[in-house]
Amino acid sequence: MTGAIDTAGPAPATHKRPGRSRAAASDLAKRERRAAYLFLSPNLIGLTVFVAVPMLLSIVLAFFSVDGFGGYTFVGTANFERMVGDPQFIDSLGRTMIYLFVLVPGLFLSGLGLALLVRSQFPLVGLFRTALFAPNVVSLVVVALIWNFLLTDDVGFVAKLLGRLGITAPSWLGDPSYALGTVMVITIWFSMGYYMLIFLAGLQDIPREFYEVASIDGAGPWQTFRNVTWPMLKPTSFFILLTSTIAVMTGGLEMLVILTSGGPANSTTLIVYYVYQQAFVYGEFGYASAIGSIMVLILLAWSALLFALTRGGRFTHAD
Amino acid sequence: MALAGAAAAASLSGCGSSSAAAEGPLQFWNFYAPPPSDDPATVARAQWMQATVDQWNAENSEQIELVFAPVLGSEKLSTAFAAGTGPDIFLISPGDIIRYINGDVLVDLEPYLSQEAIDDFFPDNMATRVVGDQVFALPMEIEPLALYYSRPAFEQAGLSEGDIPATWDELLDIADKLVSAGQGGWVVPTTQGYYQNFVWYPWMWQGGGRVMSDDGTSAAFDSQATIDALTLWKSGVELGLTPRVEPAGDDIVSSFVEGYASMWQSGIWSISDFQRKAPDFDLGVFPLPVPPGGEPATSLGGWAFAANAMGRNPDAAARFCAWALGSTDDAGITRVAEWCVQTKTDIPPRQSALDRANEMGGFDTELMRTFRDDIFPSGRGEPRFPPVIYKAVSDAIQSCQLAGGDAADQAATGAQAIDAYLQTYEGAQL
Amino acid sequence: MPTDTATAPPARHAPAPPTGQRRFLVRRSHRKKAALFTVVGIIAIITAFPLLWMITSSFKGPDEVLSTDILPSAPTVDNFDYVFTSVPFTRYLFNSFIISVTVTVVALFFHSMAAYALARLKFRGRDTIFIAVFSTLLVTAPVVLVPLFLVVHRLGLLNSYAGLIIPAIFSAFGIFLLRQFYLTIPAELEEAAILDGCGYWMIYRKIILPMSKSIFAALAVLFFLANWNSFLWPLVATTDQDLQVVQLGIVSFFEEHSADWNYVLAAAFVAAIPTLIIFGFFQRKIVESVKTSGMK
Repeated sequence: MTGAIDTAGPAPATHKRPGRSRAAASDLAKRERRAAYLFLSPNLIGLTVFVAVPMLLSIVLAFFSVDGFGGYTFVGTANFERMVGDPQFIDSLGRTMIYLFVLVPGLFLSGLGLALLVRSQFPLVGLFRTALFAPNVVSLVVVALIWNFLLTDDVGFVAKLLGRLGITAPSWLGDPSYALGTVMVITIWFSMGYYMLIFLAGLQDIPREFYEVASIDGAGPWQTFRNVTWPMLKPTSFFILLTSTIAVMTGGLEMLVILTSGGPANSTTLIVYYVYQQAFVYGEFGYASAIGSIMVLILLAWSALLFALTRGGRFTHAD
Repeated sequence: MALAGAAAAASLSGCGSSSAAAEGPLQFWNFYAPPPSDDPATVARAQWMQATVDQWNAENSEQIELVFAPVLGSEKLSTAFAAGTGPDIFLISPGDIIRYINGDVLVDLEPYLSQEAIDDFFPDNMATRVVGDQVFALPMEIEPLALYYSRPAFEQAGLSEGDIPATWDELLDIADKLVSAGQGGWVVPTTQGYYQNFVWYPWMWQGGGRVMSDDGTSAAFDSQATIDALTLWKSGVELGLTPRVEPAGDDIVSSFVEGYASMWQSGIWSISDFQRKAPDFDLGVFPLPVPPGGEPATSLGGWAFAANAMGRNPDAAARFCAWALGSTDDAGITRVAEWCVQTKTDIPPRQSALDRANEMGGFDTELMRTFRDDIFPSGRGEPRFPPVIYKAVSDAIQSCQLAGGDAADQAATGAQAIDAYLQTYEGAQL
Repeated sequence: MPTDTATAPPARHAPAPPTGQRRFLVRRSHRKKAALFTVVGIIAIITAFPLLWMITSSFKGPDEVLSTDILPSAPTVDNFDYVFTSVPFTRYLFNSFIISVTVTVVALFFHSMAAYALARLKFRGRDTIFIAVFSTLLVTAPVVLVPLFLVVHRLGLLNSYAGLIIPAIFSAFGIFLLRQFYLTIPAELEEAAILDGCGYWMIYRKIILPMSKSIFAALAVLFFLANWNSFLWPLVATTDQDLQVVQLGIVSFFEEHSADWNYVLAAAFVAAIPTLIIFGFFQRKIVESVKTSGMK
């Protein structure tokens, strides 16, 4: 492929006379802009219609009281005021923060770890990769049943196993002190293959010569990782950190609905579940939209921070 | 900004009903027909629905079309209604109905029913669909709750028919004997939700407790009966008699067959589930045990037909509901009876249909007879509480059952939450 | 990846090590491979173990499907037979397949175009547009479900393949990932192409697309899977039985009060196979290092 583009091409444009190069440069810029818009338009149109418009609508809805049957009453900031005084909202927000602090690093590290382990060639690696990704593939209905079954008190596989080691297992899904942690573990089990996949794609981006040089230089695995792999992984890491935070905060709803219904005793009612409950069980679409708007703000703030720290995810000075 | 937003929202949804094709058959959203599978029981129910609709279509100019809507109590129905595209006729659960009543979405069926028909429906079960004189939905079936027990498990624990508990103390005692003998325990729902509340209410009712005062203006939740009922469920878990998570994915049939449970509080529908999945299993049932000085009580569930007041033809929709379930002619009564005892194993919601079902042999089995004679008479319809009140009760149950909460505290807290909510509640009496 | 360091690899070619050292290196790599094999193997087995239970249980009869035995006492394929005959499961698979494949192909195409523009082209408003596109990722599904339903309803797309396919194509996820990926392409490649007289479209076709093979493979798997397993949107957007997708098909074995777990497990097992095959097929592509530094 490198042969196709001959770096020893015709003389670069800067050798032309100054006046002409300015005109040529602005022409070039215009061409570039037109091309950019053309490349962007299918997606922009689609995103606007199917994502941005519903999003904006839902933000508008936050200022209304909705009865779920087509009745809209403007209530100004009443929904937001209600949020502040709603202990269930505050509890679920707190729970979600804890959940985020554990899950985002958990997914990051497990995804990266697995990707590093399976990036090379060894017998059956393809099969292993598939096995590690497989949990992400199965329907959540069945994931819930499987874990419900494995974790059944006393009769479940896990309980029996621990019993043989002399440990009385707690009720993983039925005890409010353990349920959230259990959901975390199950979510990591379910999602780590997903992040492994993205890290794998990012890892292959690193030119092989770097590794060859490093190993010839005598670098050990840790040094190689620190000096070659990790810096090269920055764009992917940035991407995963950002999208996993968003995914953990706004996703996983089906898992909660099927596995725990937000219980026991509300211990797994994360903010996304609370929103779902308000919207679809209670019919309070206005209030749900208000909470959704707050979630967007929180995520915006976090994203802005990450973008600022990495110069727009480019990690460069120029460009 | 607000006006623009309101305009945007209205333009997208407000004229939904008129812009939807005024032609085309009325849509009846249900979870029976067209059948999702070939299973004989499923097909039988679908056939009943189809035959009913076919007969209506033959005799009326307005046509109706059955639409299979799985998981009906869920996002599908909410989304359709929120967008102004709710179905013309649909099945409604008891727990959900207050929202619809208060949203003025249901057609009052009273004008379409004869007094004879209205009187024919069992009042305790009808009550939750009625506001004053208005009837907002017609029940198609009654599903009482009771305690099932596994006779094999009893035998293995050395227990006999004489050991069937009649009081709360006996219940805990028998459960303890079963668990000690290595058999499964006593199962009640532990997953939070409307269903758990529904299953818990009778234990409170037995002691004379209520959630709301009779006039519906204040909470009556803080009572000894409530505390006792909460404590009972709490003891079940703490004594290791009730599993913290329903076994086998909440499947009573598998649990009894595999020995994961010995007693299980469930509804009359489980009879047909056992018929289908484990017909040879030796199953027994008994009414809910009562506390000292308490009265028997149980919850009555079951779905109902409802007509959408904002649909394309509310009048025809209402006429259909009234005709399908509220006809007093022989065909109408038989129709209801057939649904309840032939396609399902439920109690008919009307006296005349119950009589007809008796004649049809629907109650010839011991289990069905027990339900009809010993269990159903003490039943009360599932209450219709708005979400906040449901949640207050649910939090109390969950806290006591699974989080070691104190029953007296929880009863008091729940009552406070309910009272606070009632200050701003405007709607039909609860 | 910082474009400045990407252009400055230590382009030394060290001489091949002498024979004895080579044999040592080979043995070291064998030991390393054996270690990896063991560690990864154990993790893979533990990870897949719960699924193995699902698989073996789908061969059990209804009386023992939820027993604690791992292996069925009387294995049967009746569940699979039932799933395919009593329910139009093939139709469900077909629907899901059409939707997933179409969305995947179109999305890869559209998203890479947009990502190329955002990563490699300079134009006014580029960063603003990127931020706007990015912020669409911040939505919470339950909150936008009804507004989206309204929009699709207004466009007359409800209850149709179009209504299931078109809204699913547009998401900022692919654009974002591809943009990160495209940021790492050395500028010299494009500059050379421009000097050669290539238009942007040619650059896109001749340089960007070929370089995207591995990332496309990864995204293809993720897009396919997301659409294959989608439940909520098909549930609210269709009433026509002929349009039911696989996840709804699984739900058809749930009665109002009980579930036929033996059929559910069999159906879920069948539903899991296509994505596993696709992943198995693509996973080598994902890992293959297409990108050398290009400086040789």
